Amino acid sequence: MTDIDVIVAEGVVKTYDDSGVPVHAVRGIDYTLSKGEFTAIIGPSGSGKTTFLNVLAGLDTPTEGKVWLSGKLISDMSGKELSDFRRDHIGFIFQAYNLFPVLTVEENVEYVMLLQGILSVERHDRVMNILEKVGIAEYAGRLPMQLSGGQQQRAAVARAMVSRPSLVIADEPTANLDSKTSGALLDMMRQLNEDTGMTFLFSTHDEIVMRRARKIVIIRDGKIDGKASSEEI
Amino acid sequence: MTMIGGFFLSSLSIGWMDGSYGSIIMFFTNNRTGQIQVHHKGYLEDPSIYSTIGGYQTVGAFLDSIPEVRVWAPRIYSGALLAVRPRGAGSGNVFSNSAAASVIGIDPAMEEAATDFSDRIVNGEMLTASAADTSYAAAGQIILGRELSIILDASVGDSLVMLSQAADGSSADRKYVIRGIVSSGNADIDRNTCYITLSDAQILFALQGKVHEIAVMTHSLGRVDELTGEISAGLSGKDLETDSWKTFAKEFYNGMKADEVQLKIMIFVIVLVAAMGVLNTILMMVLERRREFGVMKALGTRPGFIVRMVVLEANIMGAISVIAGAILSTSGLLFLSKHGLVMDPPLNYGGTVFREMIASITPECYWIPAICVFITASTVSFLPALKAAHTKAAKTLRAV
Repeated sequence: MTDIDVIVAEGVVKTYDDSGVPVHAVRGIDYTLSKGEFTAIIGPSGSGKTTFLNVLAGLDTPTEGKVWLSGKLISDMSGKELSDFRRDHIGFIFQAYNLFPVLTVEENVEYVMLLQGILSVERHDRVMNILEKVGIAEYAGRLPMQLSGGQQQRAAVARAMVSRPSLVIADEPTANLDSKTSGALLDMMRQLNEDTGMTFLFSTHDEIVMRRARKIVIIRDGKIDGKASSEEI
Repeated sequence: MTMIGGFFLSSLSIGWMDGSYGSIIMFFTNNRTGQIQVHHKGYLEDPSIYSTIGGYQTVGAFLDSIPEVRVWAPRIYSGALLAVRPRGAGSGNVFSNSAAASVIGIDPAMEEAATDFSDRIVNGEMLTASAADTSYAAAGQIILGRELSIILDASVGDSLVMLSQAADGSSADRKYVIRGIVSSGNADIDRNTCYITLSDAQILFALQGKVHEIAVMTHSLGRVDELTGEISAGLSGKDLETDSWKTFAKEFYNGMKADEVQLKIMIFVIVLVAAMGVLNTILMMVLERRREFGVMKALGTRPGFIVRMVVLEANIMGAISVIAGAILSTSGLLFLSKHGLVMDPPLNYGGTVFREMIASITPECYWIPAICVFITASTVSFLPALKAAHTKAAKTLRAV
């Protein structure tokens, strides 16, 4: 592991046994994500992409193997430390947006900063700034249900990035969007990646995402089946 | 809704309890006993004719000096045999209708001021101060309890003879004309009680200048215990004892306490049922919002924050319920305090019959249910809050 490694995974296995029948979602993956990467994890449905992302982000614990986040071993971190780590270092973008329905766009975006204890004036400035960047500043006072899918996902992107995390993890961020909106959103994230050096890790089977990713990791049946550049794919 | 219902029912029950019990106690004490009584030491345990308050006017003057004392009434108690000549019998016949009775000597004016005695006279008139009070030359005047008049088959205007023993050992006997029939609301008392004037009783029982009891009426029930202590202190060294209604009407007081306990149990059951409803509501809320909690955890929210948030939300719901419940219960209490409820059949408390009960609006009607609501909200929301705080982010985001 080097200073520029954001995530290092060693022999990660994840087996679910919820219904009594073991499901091997991840079957031993070694992986390193370096600082500033714009990487997509691709693979068919059920290949273990989301599970692998959850394990990498500390949302799920591996059945076997080890994961280091910015040099810290996840299994050594308490629940509180892990929460604080995610709050301060990881931004999440979900396939289903997952904005809080009773909060306005502005309140949704400032939520993580509220947890970080950032003062109200600074929160407001940063929220408006990021909403400008993602192009939905005029919808700051609206509830998520009053926005289109694309606008909601932009709000989710703004929420993921407003706290300036070192890593943004996005689970199928364009799955519910049309191709035009998906392209615009990916271009915007790519621009933010280039401008700020933020690391992006996506799971996707959307061609639009693959085309814009600098690196691609292919997962099949819970194992890494190959790595490639977008051009090669 | 459950919390509003719980607040409303608890508040109404407390208002009802305070109002009805307050009015029952006031009715009972104002009607008969007074809220405080002064006796010679030991009289309550052994009510002897010799156990008297001498110079009762001095005690009365002291009571008059206390602003919280509304009025006081001196009384003499003794027993006697009453005999009436049967209706339609000639003048030569014996007084063969007889009954034993308690004789109470009352000061007509003071008793009227204290207990509105004349309001309970169902036939005839109230006793009056007259020459018969101080001389045996004329027949005395007597009021009989209604049931006693039935036993004696006597009515207003009839004559009767009273036989007893005076404190000096002499025979106490006199002829009386029945001036009125009284119904106190307590048939047991009315079955064996008759009333003569205090002056008459003092002469008849050789108790000049003495009484057995001074009944004290106060302006409110709330300060009775303190006032009892105050009077007791003021009368110290006089060989007298001062008691509140809780002591001299112990049976009545215990009955009230037992009823109060029943009502408190009822309120507890209401709170318990409401608590179950609240628990169910909050558990459902947590279940419905588990994806939201999963997202919160994914974004880095600490479990403690989620616990505080759920408990706070339950308390905000509680606060809204308190406001809504207070509006509802105030309407109900206002109605019940103005119109009351007619008891059918009438309620019998220690022999005293109550036909109507009213509620009262006191601070307890609000703060006790409010505290119950907030304690319930905080307590029952804690378990769901812990459940919410331990939501597995990956699982909820995957499953929902």
